[in-house]
Amino acid sequence: MDIKITEELNNTLKDNGFKEEEIKEIIANAESSGQKLKARDGDISIAKGGAENLTVYAVYSPSELLDVYTHKMSILGLTGGELNEIDYDDASEWACAKCGEIALERNVDMTYMGVTRPGPGLVCPKCNEYYVSDGVAKTLKTAEAILEEKRA
Amino acid sequence: MPAKDYAPIDENWLENAGSLWTTPWVDKPSERVIVDPIILSHAASLFRKNAGYFYQNPDEAIRMVCHACELYDVTPVGHYLYADYWGQDYGAEIKIQTNSPPGITKRPIKTAEDVDNFEVMDSDELAKGPTLTTHYKALDTCKEEFPNMFAPITQLGGTMEVATNWAAIEDVFMWMITEPEVVDKLCQKAGDHMVSACKATAERYGANVMITGSVIASGDLMDTEQIKRFSFQPVSRAVRKVLNAGAGPGIYYHLCGNHTDDFQMWKNAPMSPFTIVQIGYDGQNIFPTSKLVEHFGDRCTCFGTVDTKLIDRGTPAQVYEQAKEQVIAGKDSPRGFILGTACECPTNAPPVNVHALVKAAKDHGKYEKF
Repeated sequence: MDIKITEELNNTLKDNGFKEEEIKEIIANAESSGQKLKARDGDISIAKGGAENLTVYAVYSPSELLDVYTHKMSILGLTGGELNEIDYDDASEWACAKCGEIALERNVDMTYMGVTRPGPGLVCPKCNEYYVSDGVAKTLKTAEAILEEKRA
Repeated sequence: MPAKDYAPIDENWLENAGSLWTTPWVDKPSERVIVDPIILSHAASLFRKNAGYFYQNPDEAIRMVCHACELYDVTPVGHYLYADYWGQDYGAEIKIQTNSPPGITKRPIKTAEDVDNFEVMDSDELAKGPTLTTHYKALDTCKEEFPNMFAPITQLGGTMEVATNWAAIEDVFMWMITEPEVVDKLCQKAGDHMVSACKATAERYGANVMITGSVIASGDLMDTEQIKRFSFQPVSRAVRKVLNAGAGPGIYYHLCGNHTDDFQMWKNAPMSPFTIVQIGYDGQNIFPTSKLVEHFGDRCTCFGTVDTKLIDRGTPAQVYEQAKEQVIAGKDSPRGFILGTACECPTNAPPVNVHALVKAAKDHGKYEKF
C-alpha cells in the first residue's frame, strides 16, 4: 500500500518526534491483520500502534495519510467490565475491519500515572479492540496534562 | 466592592484546600474529604447583598464566592451561573429578581412550528451572546484575580432544561403527550446547542468543565421512559459530541430532584477521566451515599449530598448528622468522593448550617484508604 504523506503532515510528524517509517509500519500492520477501524460510509481507516505508554493512531485513505494523533493513557477495558445493553444509540461512524461489527461508543477504563478513570472509547464488541477518536484524544491530552501536573 | 476592598486570600489555606480538592480526581493523598456546598448567591448574603445584586455583577459575584470558599473552608472554585441560561441568546427576556436567580419571562419558542424554524447558534455566535458574555466576565475575573480557584465551567443543564428555557414548560410537557416528536426535535437542538456552548468555552480557555444532567427531567415530573427519551439519550449524545470535539475533559452530571427510577441508566452515560455524578433525592429522601457509591463508585467520582432543605431550614445538628452519615458512607469511594449539597446552597441559608456541613467532613471524613 503506497501511502502519500504531505509535506505539512510530515513536518507535524517530525515536530512530534515520529518517523514516517513508524507510521507506515502501523498502517502496514493494520492492513495485513485487518485490525483497524473503517469508516462506515467511505474509504477512511484508523490504524493503531505504538508502545506501552503511547498509543498512536494513523487516519488514512487508500492513497494518503490524513492525520496522526496519540494518547498516553492506557486503555484497560470496558468500564464496569461488561458490554451491557445501554439505553441510547451507541453506534459510531466506524466499523471493525476484521469482523465487520459496528464500533460502539462506550466508556472504557483508562489508566495513567497510577490513576484509573473512565473515558470515551470506540469498542469493537466482537474483537474487544479499543480505539479513541481524534477529538477524544484532544480531550485526553488535557486530562493527561492535569494528571502530570497534579501527580508530579 | 472592587477587588482592593477584600482581604487577601490566605495562601496556606488555598494550598491546603487545593490539595483536598485534587484528591478525588487524581488519587493524590490528602487528609480528608473536601466539601462543595455549591455556593452561588449565598455568598452575596455574607456581604449583605442580595441575589439580584450578585447576578447583575458577575465580577463581584466571583469575588464574593471565592472569599466565601475561604471563609467556609470548602472547594476553592469560583462559580457563577444560574438555571435560566441560554434563553436570552435566542430572544428570551430575562428578569433580574431581588431574592432569587434571574428568571425568563418571555420565551422565543411559542409553537411547534417555531421548533422547526429554530436555529442553533454556533460557538462563535454564542461566545458573543448575552449568556456567555456575562458568564465569561465572571470567569475572566476569577482567572485574573484568583487563578488558583479558576475552572472553565460551562453551565448547560440537560436538554430538558435548555428546552424549557426556550419554550414554556407547560407547552413542552403538553407536546410530550400530544406531539412527542416535537420535543425530540427540541431536545436534539438543545443538545446541539450544548455542544456549541462547550466548544466556545474550550476555545476560550483551552479546556471545559460541563455541568449537565437532569433536573426538570426527574421522577417527580416525568416517567422513566420520558426521562430516557428526552433527557438521558439526547444528553448522552451531546456529551459524546462534546468529547469528540475535544471540548472536555470535565463532566459534572447534576441529577437534581428524585431519580429513584432512572438513576441506573446514568451509569452508562458518557464519561471522561474527570467525571462527577451527583444525585439529589431517592423519592422524598436524600439519595443515600451508600447507594451512590454502590452503583457509581467503580466508575467515577461520587458527589454525596445533604438535603438543601435542611441546609436552609434545619438545625446545625440535623445538618451535621446527615452530613456525617453521608461522608462516612462515601469517603473511601474508589474513584474519589466529594461531600456537598443536593443543589445550590440556598441564598439565605444560615451560615452555621454550612459550617455544620463542613465540620462533619472534618470530623468524620478523614481518608482511611491512603
